[in-house]
Amino acid sequence: MNDFLTYIPIILMGVWNTLILSTVSFLLATLLGLLMAFIEVFSPKPVSTIVDWVTRVLRGIPLLLALLLVFYGLPRAGVALPNIASAIIGITIVDSGYQAQLFRGAIEGVGGRQLEAAYSIGLSKWGAFRYVIVPQAFRAALPGWLNEFTIVLKDSSIAYAIGVTELFTQAVHVAQVILDYLQPLILVSIVYFSMCYPLSIVSERARRKLLAMGVAAV
Amino acid sequence: MSFDKLLDLVNSYGSLLLNGLLTSFYLTVSSYLIGFTLGVLISIARTYGPRLVKALCQAFVELTRGTPMLVQLFLIYYVLPRVGLTLDPLPAAIIAIGLNSAAYQSEYLRASMSSISYSQWEAALSIGLTKLQAVREVILPQSIRIAIPTLANELIYLFKYSSIAYFITVSELIYISKFIGSRTFLYVEVYSIIAVIYIAFSIAATEVFKFIERKIAIPGLRISTRL
Amino acid sequence: MRIVLEVSNLWKFFGKNPVLRGVSFSIREGETKVILGPSGAGKSTLLRCINLLIKPDRGSIVLDGEEVTAPGVNVAKVRSKIGFVFQHFNLFNHLTALENVMLGLIKVKGMNKSDAFKVARESLLSVGISEDLWSKYPAQLSGGQQQRVAIARAIAMSPRLVLFDEPTSALDPELIWEVLGVMEKLSKEGMTMIVVTHELGFAMKVADEVIFMDSGAVVESGPPEEVILRPKNERVRRFMERMQYVYSLK
Repeated sequence: MNDFLTYIPIILMGVWNTLILSTVSFLLATLLGLLMAFIEVFSPKPVSTIVDWVTRVLRGIPLLLALLLVFYGLPRAGVALPNIASAIIGITIVDSGYQAQLFRGAIEGVGGRQLEAAYSIGLSKWGAFRYVIVPQAFRAALPGWLNEFTIVLKDSSIAYAIGVTELFTQAVHVAQVILDYLQPLILVSIVYFSMCYPLSIVSERARRKLLAMGVAAV
Repeated sequence: MSFDKLLDLVNSYGSLLLNGLLTSFYLTVSSYLIGFTLGVLISIARTYGPRLVKALCQAFVELTRGTPMLVQLFLIYYVLPRVGLTLDPLPAAIIAIGLNSAAYQSEYLRASMSSISYSQWEAALSIGLTKLQAVREVILPQSIRIAIPTLANELIYLFKYSSIAYFITVSELIYISKFIGSRTFLYVEVYSIIAVIYIAFSIAATEVFKFIERKIAIPGLRISTRL
Repeated sequence: MRIVLEVSNLWKFFGKNPVLRGVSFSIREGETKVILGPSGAGKSTLLRCINLLIKPDRGSIVLDGEEVTAPGVNVAKVRSKIGFVFQHFNLFNHLTALENVMLGLIKVKGMNKSDAFKVARESLLSVGISEDLWSKYPAQLSGGQQQRVAIARAIAMSPRLVLFDEPTSALDPELIWEVLGVMEKLSKEGMTMIVVTHELGFAMKVADEVIFMDSGAVVESGPPEEVILRPKNERVRRFMERMQYVYSLK
């Protein structure tokens, strides 16, 4: 037990990378996802179908595979990046597919009647987007979006496969040294849980509140 | 990356890849079934069970959903031996992924159970069904119907996530691919091939489920798709 | 005729709020009693206490001589002897009309499929639901049809009495007649019924006794001509005047 206590700081150093990895990928994926969602909902048929298929492809790849592809693929294309950068790219790509679906659902949930009402008071297409659709879509997407962040936080552990020194990787390395998996795993479980559980409570409360207000929360 | 190299790969290692794919399928379906069965039990326990059972189930679900699947996988494979339960990689993966899926499936079912209006429950009791019968004959059939889109998604999701069994040396598709890659150094080529396999499966499975959903929908009752 | 149900001094509190205050009455075989009164008077709560969906806090309910409010009573068994028709029909959405009626027969009464079918068939035909509707799902039926299937579901169990909780309040005005017609027929055939409703015409025509409830207590009871047309109680009189304004009955 004493042995383990000295290793705790080493494991916890991984939190920093976990947070960077998760937050950066998530925000990038949000931007990409929003972009794809808007294109999909507001473009003419051929373009929106293409984007729809793109999101389907992105959602069809396991994260582990995406990370491995980026990790091995980039050097082949002549690009040398630190592991964490490859991980960020991999997570961003896969998550943007899910976020596009999330935002698309939220936008469609706002509904055509809102658009009609917006036009009827004289708003232009762009005005309708900005003042009527977007604010409502954001609200509706909030619970799902927060939930998505907890997913990214947990999935960041898969970056272990390409040697990123995030929380899980550190735990495994320590476990291999002290020949005990239990303590490191319990420690990181506590850390992950204390990040994810509060977020999920907030997300649930938000969802309930929105539903009570009559919003089609995704 | 040339087309010839790809073809070569498929020729020489096709059967190996097929084995990996079959292992992945087996892994996915087994864990899904465990997840579904346990999920149903947990959702019923959490909605209708005594307080202690409810609390234990809730603890299980929250802890499982609040920690990475990888952590749970490693706990089952590397830590259980300490209490005398040593498992081979594949069974360990099936159990770990199955338990994880159970936590999520129980939540989907619980949500759909609570969306069924209380009056269905009242009506069931009013003709003399016991609570157990009411759950089995009236609440559960409707809950599962409502939860089907989400449960179908879960299966497709599991197919992708079962790949984490890679980390404990299960010979599923990605693990096999890495092996092939280490032999031929054509990592990107192999990974690209299986990426296509995964994508094709996901898209095909989604379409199949949409079709099934339409077929078994209760006539007249429109079910909203995303929970 | 025998007394089927005896309700004595029933009290029910929701929190500190007394929803039922010492309600007592009895009903004999073949009688039809109608309960009238303003919303919130406790009428629905009373019905739900009788079929034990709600547990009364004080008082007793005796069905065919057996005290069903006593501890240790097989509640499900009691409920199978009392039919309940809900305001919002509450048909099982995932079952066809026929299956809705057969479920109780098979699972509660333990009948086999062909016997259950015969009984269900009789019930459905007696409420005017023809064979072409038997394989339809509730969402495919009109409100009036759904409610009649609900009645069939209740009477198929051969209950000792049937409780109706505002059975026509959720129906389009045009469809009310088909349900009231079925209820009148049942009453004439000798079914013991307790009906909570606002349909004064039905009460006048069909009820053996009218019970007026307000704020959880029985205010007045008696034959329909008296309680509805010549009420003794001031509160009842005001209520009837307002109702008659709506129904133009004099």
